[in-house]
Amino acid sequence: MSVTPSAHPDPGSTSKAEARQFEMDVLVGYILLYGVVLSLLLICAGLIWRLVNTGNLHFDYELSGMNLFQLVATELKQALHAELRPRLFLSLGIAVLMLTPFIRVLASVFYFLGVLKNWKYTLFTSLVLIVLTYSLFLR
Amino acid sequence: MVSFELLFPISILAGFVGAIGGMGGGVILIPALTLLGVDIKHAIAISILSVIATSSGSASAYVRDHLTNLKVGMFLEMFTIVGALAGARITIASSSAPLYIIFGLVLLGSWIALFAAGHYSWHEPQTQDAFSRWLELEGSYPDQVLGKTVHYKARRAYFGAPLMFGAGVIAGLLGIGAGAVKVLIHDLVMGLPPKVSTTTSNLIIGVTALAGTSVYLYAGLIEPGLAAPVILGVVIGAFLGTRLLVRLSNQAVRRVFLFILLILAAEMIFRGLRGV
Repeated sequence: MSVTPSAHPDPGSTSKAEARQFEMDVLVGYILLYGVVLSLLLICAGLIWRLVNTGNLHFDYELSGMNLFQLVATELKQALHAELRPRLFLSLGIAVLMLTPFIRVLASVFYFLGVLKNWKYTLFTSLVLIVLTYSLFLR
Repeated sequence: MVSFELLFPISILAGFVGAIGGMGGGVILIPALTLLGVDIKHAIAISILSVIATSSGSASAYVRDHLTNLKVGMFLEMFTIVGALAGARITIASSSAPLYIIFGLVLLGSWIALFAAGHYSWHEPQTQDAFSRWLELEGSYPDQVLGKTVHYKARRAYFGAPLMFGAGVIAGLLGIGAGAVKVLIHDLVMGLPPKVSTTTSNLIIGVTALAGTSVYLYAGLIEPGLAAPVILGVVIGAFLGTRLLVRLSNQAVRRVFLFILLILAAEMIFRGLRGV
């Protein structure tokens, strides 16, 4: 049971709930950290490749009328069919950056549902997830 | 198009000054980008993308230090993300001049908030309303200065939630984290301790920025060639600024930052009134 009554907390269950809350903090913290670092590395890789290839850092492409998933699909398709290009890394870096808070919310839903068994917050985080999913699939 | 050689150092500077002032890079970045000749809507779109990086980066450390209240964050996120979606759509539909004026006014508002922030002090004992208790909005964090664990209860969530929708609109509309607004709501309305309120606001800013970014991405306002140096620069600048902040005198830093903020606010409003 995750909801410890605040008036008369049973010491044993409180510390267990607290420990689980601590675990969740760590999980969320590392998702955010690794997501941002990976995205920055991808962007750096794209820039360095471009610099080595052409001697400049001038990327000139727009992403018009594409949502995140269309963007990733298009870039990967081009990478498979044509040649690998530095811009793939740039676009993937942006995609990873955008997915970082999304995955944080996704992990929170599962944590509230599976570990903390807190229905109230499972519902709240699910609502956040639904709105974010809608926004990523805008068309 | 603005060159990498110019964008990169300017973004480092924006991230640096923003971090030193205790705000994200957006408030400095957007005026700077528009001065370089970037269209304000593109500047807003790129800024809000970079906000995901800076806020998630610093949130990761705060969350692991158990300063952030995840429940408070996740409850309030429901409202900020909807606000951000609405705000971003307004920006896309709007013409440029009003955006300059609104941006300047929000900078002025942040200026007042920062100016007033020095006079706020948190009190520990609080009665909690039934709704906030039902939401389980309470927690504790280890305070290293006091050398003990501080327990706290948030209150007035029914009032904080709609205000957070408004903070989300501002974030989506102007491409900033709007951290100053969020911290103000946490502090004054919900009664969170300052450390919890700033770190929780950081967590909320990440998802709120994502909601806004999706709208701008789909509208075709995010140019990766512009975004890449800005994201890298702002993150590097914010990292350096946070490191330096510990060693600087608070008062001197605050004065310089408040001065810069005021100049930028006046400049944006002036450009907006002139019709850009």
